[in-house]
Amino acid sequence: MDAQEKRRRLANKVKVNLAMTVREIFDAIEDEPSRPQNMAYFDRIFKTFTDGGKGAVPREEGRKLIGTYCLFVPEEIIYAAGGQPVRLCAGSYDSTEVGEEFLPDVACPMVKSEMGFSALPVLSFYQDCSLVALPASCDWKTKMGAIMEEHAPVMMMDMPRIKESEASREMWLSEIKRFKREVEKVTGVKVNRRRLREAIRLVQRAQVEFDRFHAIRKADATVISGRDALEVLNAYFYDHAESWTAAMSLLNDELEERIRNKTSVTKPKAVRLMLTGSPMVFPNWKIPTVIEELGGALVADEFCTSNRYLHDKVAVDEGSVNDMLHAIADRYLLPCTCPIFSTTVDRRDRLLQLVEDHRVEGVIYHTLKGCHPYDLETKLTETLLRDNGIPMLRIETDYSPQDVEQLRTRIEAFMETLTGKRRG
Amino acid sequence: MKVYRLRIAVQFVCFILLVYGGLFLIDLGSRLPTFSCAYMDDRGGGCFFIGFQHMMNRPLGEFLGDAGIRLLKALGIFALWAVVLNKAWCGWVCPFGFLQDMMTKLRTFIGVDVSRFAWMTRTRYKSVKYILLVLMILIPLGMANSVFGLPTLPRDWSVAFCQICPARLILPIFNGDFSQIYVDFSGSVRMILTSLGVILTGLFFTTAFVKRRFLCSYCPMLAALSLFDKIGLTSLKKNGQRCTRCGNCSRACPMEIREIEEEKTLSNLVTQDCTLCLRCVEVCPEDKALQATFCGVPIFTATQEGFLKRQGLPGENKTEKEV
Repeated sequence: MDAQEKRRRLANKVKVNLAMTVREIFDAIEDEPSRPQNMAYFDRIFKTFTDGGKGAVPREEGRKLIGTYCLFVPEEIIYAAGGQPVRLCAGSYDSTEVGEEFLPDVACPMVKSEMGFSALPVLSFYQDCSLVALPASCDWKTKMGAIMEEHAPVMMMDMPRIKESEASREMWLSEIKRFKREVEKVTGVKVNRRRLREAIRLVQRAQVEFDRFHAIRKADATVISGRDALEVLNAYFYDHAESWTAAMSLLNDELEERIRNKTSVTKPKAVRLMLTGSPMVFPNWKIPTVIEELGGALVADEFCTSNRYLHDKVAVDEGSVNDMLHAIADRYLLPCTCPIFSTTVDRRDRLLQLVEDHRVEGVIYHTLKGCHPYDLETKLTETLLRDNGIPMLRIETDYSPQDVEQLRTRIEAFMETLTGKRRG
Repeated sequence: MKVYRLRIAVQFVCFILLVYGGLFLIDLGSRLPTFSCAYMDDRGGGCFFIGFQHMMNRPLGEFLGDAGIRLLKALGIFALWAVVLNKAWCGWVCPFGFLQDMMTKLRTFIGVDVSRFAWMTRTRYKSVKYILLVLMILIPLGMANSVFGLPTLPRDWSVAFCQICPARLILPIFNGDFSQIYVDFSGSVRMILTSLGVILTGLFFTTAFVKRRFLCSYCPMLAALSLFDKIGLTSLKKNGQRCTRCGNCSRACPMEIREIEEEKTLSNLVTQDCTLCLRCVEVCPEDKALQATFCGVPIFTATQEGFLKRQGLPGENKTEKEV
């Protein structure tokens, strides 16, 4: 059997497995009572994964696809240049096996999964990208570019690690400008003042809906499950910002109605939990699923794939192209709470603010095996939360579904301590 | 609320009041902590510095008598003004500041990008305004007092600061008076000082196409007002925990103040160069992270919603929904 045939068979195998995983997830979801109706729009995007991801990313007017990793690549620039961004961060266990051929064992499952999708034609949008912008955020991402090169048109972006330094900021701004030139080359459209302003507005409009959604999750009634909250933000990876905003607006209307009617997806006095740590991407929803099956209320999260994704905003000041590029550079670098940065202050304050705003009783800290940056911050976070009277449960896991039962036991025990603490 | 529009309106009214107030028999006194130049014939109030320099031009002994009481009275009135409005004198009242903001408008209109100092340069020049303030006290004293038997400074040093101040050359123009634009060749000291005045006036016009409020960074009035930063009734407060250090504030700050972004623990953010223009609060996207207060009562607070509105949203969003 030649290599070509072997590759085709492997791709098919992953495709079938992924389709099974996705179907199982949505079959289980269908049985859930009191799920918001407007989730259907977001479900559709993920259900396309059963069919090679066809139609997951809108491709009107022949827009060029620009793949991005992490949350450092400014989609405003992509939209302004007439491209369609698609965030390629992956959460599939089925493709990690393929990625393992290219990466060492200790690599985190996320890069393995991403590598798998890049190397094999499983989800079409991984192969359709005209440019893949890969920020050198963590060590895995830094080297992934070179390993991925033969499968994708990679553009590496240098990431500064020390946000407080002047040189870092200048370097990042010049990286943003380089990215702009690369995107312009691919799409053939020059980013001018009007187009960039419009693109910034486009994303800001999405942020208006995100802010609404975030405020809704502060309510006493848990009107949407934490898993669904992950899903709607995860859908933004693939969708066009405008369609996403429209769908989000409908969902928010429904959720606000639910707050008025006190329609909760959990029991009235459910323990209020927050998830944080390494990113959780579809279909890796095992932890939120377990928590919610046990009756916990997931009222907040702090993930780069979710809450952090759309929170920070570009502030246009004087409105020239350079001013806007500077604003964009700052927005993607400075407020980011990713642990790859030397400072921990921003993340600590963000966590405390979320705990306060969402009245969180316990935090579940998720680290993916091999995800060193989050692992390094575990102790600091635990101490910080303990000092503020918030218990924390650390879970280290990967994308494999094998440890679900073990996780269930641990999370159940953790939730019992929290209920015990409530009684005093 | 679009604060920058309100600010321009207030600045405009203050400009009319201070530059043409005299025509309407308005007189706010001559102890104003703002560059309402005393060389303007139609002024509605005068800059504190010219009187202050005259008052300091006394033998030290006289300060124990009448001169001292006059000086204390003047300082008291100045302090009172300063405590009430604090740096808002710079950001909201100063006619010379207003003119610089108008030049900035012109610059952005013709599409010239702003440029920024390197961090170290900015820090290095921070002391200039204090040096000018100290000189403003020492020079008049040196004219009336001899140190260690050395000769006193000649009369040419009289109101030395006014001689170099570019506001003296520019503001009277609005009263139709171009006579202040000159170099005085009657003596070497006067020649140097008035030449500096002309050079700074030139810088006023040229730097406006490079930077925002370039001259304010060196203004001794800013230095004098900064003595009241902590006790001023008008204040700028920050809640460190709510701040994400996104840098929007320091990027939009016309005075390039970095503390506003970096500070996580201090709550009073009226720093030495702050002009209380409140641009930082306008561009702050975090709920209640920044707040302007008067006597402790919030008068303008940063909110997510307000931020997006000022960015031109969600005006169109709403119409979309209605359609």
